[in-house]
Amino acid sequence: MKPSNLKVLLVFLLIGAGAICLHAQKSVSGTVTDEDGEALIGVNVLVAGTTSGTITDNDGNYVLTVPERATLIFSYTGFESVERVVGSATVIDVSLQFGTSLDEVVVTALGISRERKALGYAVEELDAEQIARVQQPNLVNALQGQVAGVQVSSAGGGPGQAARIIIRGVNSLDPGANNQPLFVVDGIPITNETLTVGGGGARNVSNRAADINPNDIESMTVLKGGAATALYGLRAANGAIIITTKQGEAGQVRVNFETTYGTEEVNKFPETQRVYTQGFGGNYDPGSFWSTWGPTVDEARQIDPDHPETIFNNFENAYTTGNQTRNSLSISGGTEQAQFRASISHFDHEGVLPFSTYENTSFRFNGNLVANEKFSFGGGVNYVRSGGNRVNADRFNERLVYWAPRVDVNNFIDEDGAMSGYRDRPPGFFVGNNPIYGELTNKFVDDVDRFIGNLKFSYSPFDFLTLNYVVGIDQYSDFRHNYGQGPVYPGAPNFENNGARGFNNETRIRRRDITSNLSGVANFSLGGDFDLQVLAGFDVFDSEYDRVTTTGDELDIFNLFSLNNAAIIRTSSFDQMYRLMGLYGDISIAYKNAIYLSITGRNDWSSALPAANRSFFYPSVSLGAVISDLTDVSSVFSYLKLRASYAGIGKDTDPYRTSVVYGNASGFPIESVTGWTRDNQQGAQDLKPERTNTIEFGADMRFFNNRFGIDVTYYNAKSVDQIIPVPVSNATGYTTFILNAGSMRNSGVELVMRGTPVQTPNFSWDVSLNYTRNVNEVLDIFEGVEDIFLGSSFGYAGSSASLRLVEGQPYGNIYGRSFARFGADPESLFIDESAPLLIGEDGFPVVETNQKILGNSQPRWFGAITNTIRYKSFSFSFMFDTRQGVQKYNQQGNFFAAFGTAPYTLNRNETIVFEGVLADGTPNTQAVWLGQGEGPDGRDYGAGYYRNRFRGSTENFIEEADWIRLRNVSLSYELPAALLQNVFIQRASITLTGNNLWLDTPYSGFDPEGNRGNQNGDDGFGGFTYPGVRSFFATLNVSF
Amino acid sequence: MQLKNIIAILVAGSLLLFTACDEYLDINENPNVATQPPLDGLLASTSYQTGLNNFRVSNSFGAFWVQYLASPNESSTTDIYLEADYSGTWGSLYNTMTDLFDLIRFGEEREAEAHVGIAKVLMAVNLALVVDNWNDAPYTDAFTGSTLTPVYDNGEQLYDVILNLLGEAEAALASDDASPSLNGPSDFVHGGDLVAWGRTIEALRARYLNHLSETGAYAPAEVLNAIDNAYTGVSQAAAITTFEVRNPWAQQAVNNDALLLAGWLSDQFVDALNGTTYGVFDPRLPFLTDTTDTGDYRGTRNGAGRVGDGTMAFESYLETDGSFSSEDSPLYLMSYQELKFVEAEAALAATQPDRALTAFTEGVTSSIIEIQTFAGVSQEVAEMAAADYLSAAYPDLSAANLTLDDVFREKYVANFLSPETYVDARRYDFGYTGFELAANAAQGSVPTRVQYPNTELDRNGRNTPDVLLTDLVFWDQ
Repeated sequence: MKPSNLKVLLVFLLIGAGAICLHAQKSVSGTVTDEDGEALIGVNVLVAGTTSGTITDNDGNYVLTVPERATLIFSYTGFESVERVVGSATVIDVSLQFGTSLDEVVVTALGISRERKALGYAVEELDAEQIARVQQPNLVNALQGQVAGVQVSSAGGGPGQAARIIIRGVNSLDPGANNQPLFVVDGIPITNETLTVGGGGARNVSNRAADINPNDIESMTVLKGGAATALYGLRAANGAIIITTKQGEAGQVRVNFETTYGTEEVNKFPETQRVYTQGFGGNYDPGSFWSTWGPTVDEARQIDPDHPETIFNNFENAYTTGNQTRNSLSISGGTEQAQFRASISHFDHEGVLPFSTYENTSFRFNGNLVANEKFSFGGGVNYVRSGGNRVNADRFNERLVYWAPRVDVNNFIDEDGAMSGYRDRPPGFFVGNNPIYGELTNKFVDDVDRFIGNLKFSYSPFDFLTLNYVVGIDQYSDFRHNYGQGPVYPGAPNFENNGARGFNNETRIRRRDITSNLSGVANFSLGGDFDLQVLAGFDVFDSEYDRVTTTGDELDIFNLFSLNNAAIIRTSSFDQMYRLMGLYGDISIAYKNAIYLSITGRNDWSSALPAANRSFFYPSVSLGAVISDLTDVSSVFSYLKLRASYAGIGKDTDPYRTSVVYGNASGFPIESVTGWTRDNQQGAQDLKPERTNTIEFGADMRFFNNRFGIDVTYYNAKSVDQIIPVPVSNATGYTTFILNAGSMRNSGVELVMRGTPVQTPNFSWDVSLNYTRNVNEVLDIFEGVEDIFLGSSFGYAGSSASLRLVEGQPYGNIYGRSFARFGADPESLFIDESAPLLIGEDGFPVVETNQKILGNSQPRWFGAITNTIRYKSFSFSFMFDTRQGVQKYNQQGNFFAAFGTAPYTLNRNETIVFEGVLADGTPNTQAVWLGQGEGPDGRDYGAGYYRNRFRGSTENFIEEADWIRLRNVSLSYELPAALLQNVFIQRASITLTGNNLWLDTPYSGFDPEGNRGNQNGDDGFGGFTYPGVRSFFATLNVSF
Repeated sequence: MQLKNIIAILVAGSLLLFTACDEYLDINENPNVATQPPLDGLLASTSYQTGLNNFRVSNSFGAFWVQYLASPNESSTTDIYLEADYSGTWGSLYNTMTDLFDLIRFGEEREAEAHVGIAKVLMAVNLALVVDNWNDAPYTDAFTGSTLTPVYDNGEQLYDVILNLLGEAEAALASDDASPSLNGPSDFVHGGDLVAWGRTIEALRARYLNHLSETGAYAPAEVLNAIDNAYTGVSQAAAITTFEVRNPWAQQAVNNDALLLAGWLSDQFVDALNGTTYGVFDPRLPFLTDTTDTGDYRGTRNGAGRVGDGTMAFESYLETDGSFSSEDSPLYLMSYQELKFVEAEAALAATQPDRALTAFTEGVTSSIIEIQTFAGVSQEVAEMAAADYLSAAYPDLSAANLTLDDVFREKYVANFLSPETYVDARRYDFGYTGFELAANAAQGSVPTRVQYPNTELDRNGRNTPDVLLTDLVFWDQ
């Protein structure tokens, strides 16, 4: 640490020391009621500016030990929050007004509760109800559409499969960067990584946050970066999701049981042609590899009487109906001194793609003990077991294109257990990969055991000072078993990916993250109208990852999936350690409870950077001003707050990027000889930290007695000195260089509107709307590097689409080949849509092989609107969600063209004149046939227009992927108390939910929301994804 | 507690922490890898990979374009000359050359002349595989990691580099003092036998000088000079015989048995041996493949895919007991037979017909003997088969009437599956009897070079030459 940085932190502490006023600690109690005097149960009673607080019991009572100067905040869903200064009172009874609650208390960095109005940055929060309503087992998906600035991309509707969450755009040029936010559960950062090792990538294994049981969550706060996350440091450079789990409450023991059953189906299928059948060049051949380049069905039936009358729609037939169940039981209760909550939950999901499964069992125990006035502690432990058979949707859908629709894909297995394919191969064989047989015999099962635990100690030696220590562990093991069955008898038709003799691969992973965080908070009154809060702390993060992968090839017994049964065994291992320490401080000054200034500083020390550069400091400043409390603003506003902030965040990089190394050559040892090879990555010894500077401005405006509110935020984040692994020519001796250069900017607007058009005790109607627009620009990349390759998706005949970062262009541009335009500027990166097609001498459009920008994977804007209507015991809500101005490469479309599956290939036997001009500028007049082989004009057209030309132009498969959908509809009915009077049940409710009930999109494939995976290089690539689903749920919830 | 004390403790605590801090954070040395590779380890991976690179070049495109193999699927990309991406093969060649670059660099630092000498030979072999297929390629600017976008060297100049490497290798091997020692088994080609390497250097020199046959630089006398000091028997040739699992061609046969279709013989090759093209049945054919169900040998036409309408389903494939596709079949970098045919060709060019005839006869004979005896046929029977074949196929064989066509015809068979045949075919302008374009061919001629891989076009675009599949490499004129 540089001395100057240490000084800054000491100054923070000294400022605190210079302004001490001592106040006594005391006990406060009271009752919280509604307007009619009815007790309110479970009202949050929080001490402003601290992490301490309690919840009212069944009679609406609470007891709390607080400093005299403290301010209590009472908040309750559906009611307006109330603040009370404790002063000399020992009993504070509060009556809450029913109404739109806009003045709530939110959880901020390090779990500190603050009034929303005291913040100089935007924060959004989801409560338990909003999370439960959307019925998403993966809590990342639960955020979809609910928060401005947050873009969630699922990879389709697969059980347990990964989802990706990006807040305010990607701010790293690194193709391998984790651009996702930090997840913090009860003060402990947990990993949300998606490990693709051992074959998990194509299988879409879960992002690890999916382990968390959504029913355990009390609230999720989204900190969007910059000033909001400054105290968390670099790990939250992409924002943070602060999760608070449900805690026990004082009072009698309560038992809650919830059961949900859901059923689902594919919500959108691609259109396919149903006229042409198996063969090539219009010739029927039931043994052909080619699924639909043969003659029409009628023609085929004249040759082969066994040919079915109509061909099968295997894209629909191959999928089935999925279902899921979740059962959760929780018990909570306690006394004023000690509270607990225990829960157990089991989730079971079978997907629409055959054999896709996921199971999650979760136990959680949370406890708190107030030992005495000065000392309290608590903790929580969560055990999760999760995993299932992860199918390879990409391969499944690809094989469906190859599959000839002459044959029903559901006939996938012969009586003897061999694969039943689509190609007749006498005598008596049917070869050609059957995708269903593939999923039956080629599996990937993951089995995760995870423990997340935290302990918290809180000590208040003085009433103005609280010291907190939190220590936590997040440890999991992941056993991945990937195996393929050998042929059931020698020469039996078998699935290609099973290899010649089957295989059995096992990967064993252990990840252990330990976090330790010591902090102190002091609150002072500076006299006059000034209040001061000083916070300082020190945290350590220690992460270790071990992996052993053993592959076993060539099984002796074709279906015994054990390493003991494999002839060829290879093993590799990988260990990784990473450590990070941070010292941080925060000074917040409030003036008249209306102007709030907060200054933070943090210094990080990272093990991943060279010793000389591993220490780095970064500050933030934020200011919030409630104008409506300071001056009499126009009567239009019932509330007006302005906020502004600046933050710099330093960032390190992945471990082991600072050297050039040599590893074991693949395939070795061979007969006890070892082989060594230079590693593909060239590390850099002089890496220095990246930095992201963010400014943010916002306004919170409310009108009509708070019935209508608008919150607008503008942000501008620039990341510089980025650490990037740049893919390079193999001739360099490496495949990637780690480089310390490049910058990128994200700027955008977030808009949140909330309104309550109707508000009566029996009936209310709430509307909320969010809108996000993010603009990204790559400002510069390393000199000499023209572009950075993020990823590509295969297309036939050179039509692969790729994602590249190019200076001056936004993130997410999709590049590929196009049809050449006559007279277009050859240097232009874009297609000149106004220019006519260039037609070659052969009469067909010419493919432009220079890569052009054909679309962008990032939406121009996205948003959602949610309506919630409550009538007596009924609650009804629905959410529309949209994404606009986004394109996608449809790989399935490319294959549909190559295999004659697409409906537009029905014109294959037509002779047409392509509209366009020849190289000399004269209009094209040459008539050409679109079919294969010899045309009516006697010319040999080879493999035909679609295979020879059309499929080779990426442009044809970049589609508009905009959508509007009815994301969620939920109807809930709370059984009247009168009905339950004579039974032991206290409360009961029934909820019906529908997800994805309606979808409107111009995209031709499966639901365009799905990407092929959740890595950076998967964005914008669809087609062979796990299809999206439409699902229906029924939930019963009872409390005893 | 006084506040002063708390602050004092905090400050002291922090200071204490930061003295311990550096040690706590010094964990960024990757524990899974080495910073200094063992020379024998580099030798093992490079010698083995060089063998595999020969397989990769052939199996990626070479064997299909010379019509040794054909795809079972109609209009398969490679079969019909559509542009395809061979990034994998290119990447393997450059990975191997990178490790050879390091082996030379570290070997010279440690004065390990034997390692350096072998590395230079292997470098020449890999670089020639690059130049012969892609012509211009990065070399002088390559492997160092000092530039992101290595410039391309001219193919013709790279041939000078290749020949220089062979000369330097010879010098290095000659100066070897056995210190540091070389672990024999780590040399997958010659087991650490430097004399054998000396012969291989000469054989390779002959091969690469002979590649220049269509250029003004062709000097057949130099080729013959090199051959004088090269192999004198089959056992001296350069081959990999120890495999990770099995010979990679054997893997194709294993896969095909499991209906993962691969290793289908082209009708051009089968017809050349089964009597269709030349009217003579080649005694090697039964040891390279098997008969179909109807008892004949039948290849698959490139681009046409599987023969027949599904009722006659069987074709000839690579077999797990074939002499070139068995588990332990040698995978040649340079074979004795190839050397003999190079000798025959150079001798014809140098108008030394007697030497040409001797070399030709030895090439055919040793090929038949090697292929048959590998499969368990006795030496005597095999010798007889060779003699019978020569007299049947070339009844009037003499020094006077041995032609270049005969040499290319026999070299095509003897060099079955070798990437070298694609070089020959271009020097010979695909003049093999009965050679025809693939069905559904996407262009009017067989490609005369390989397109640069996507990894180059994408990442080194400004240096990568813009080429067509009909362009010629420098020695093809």
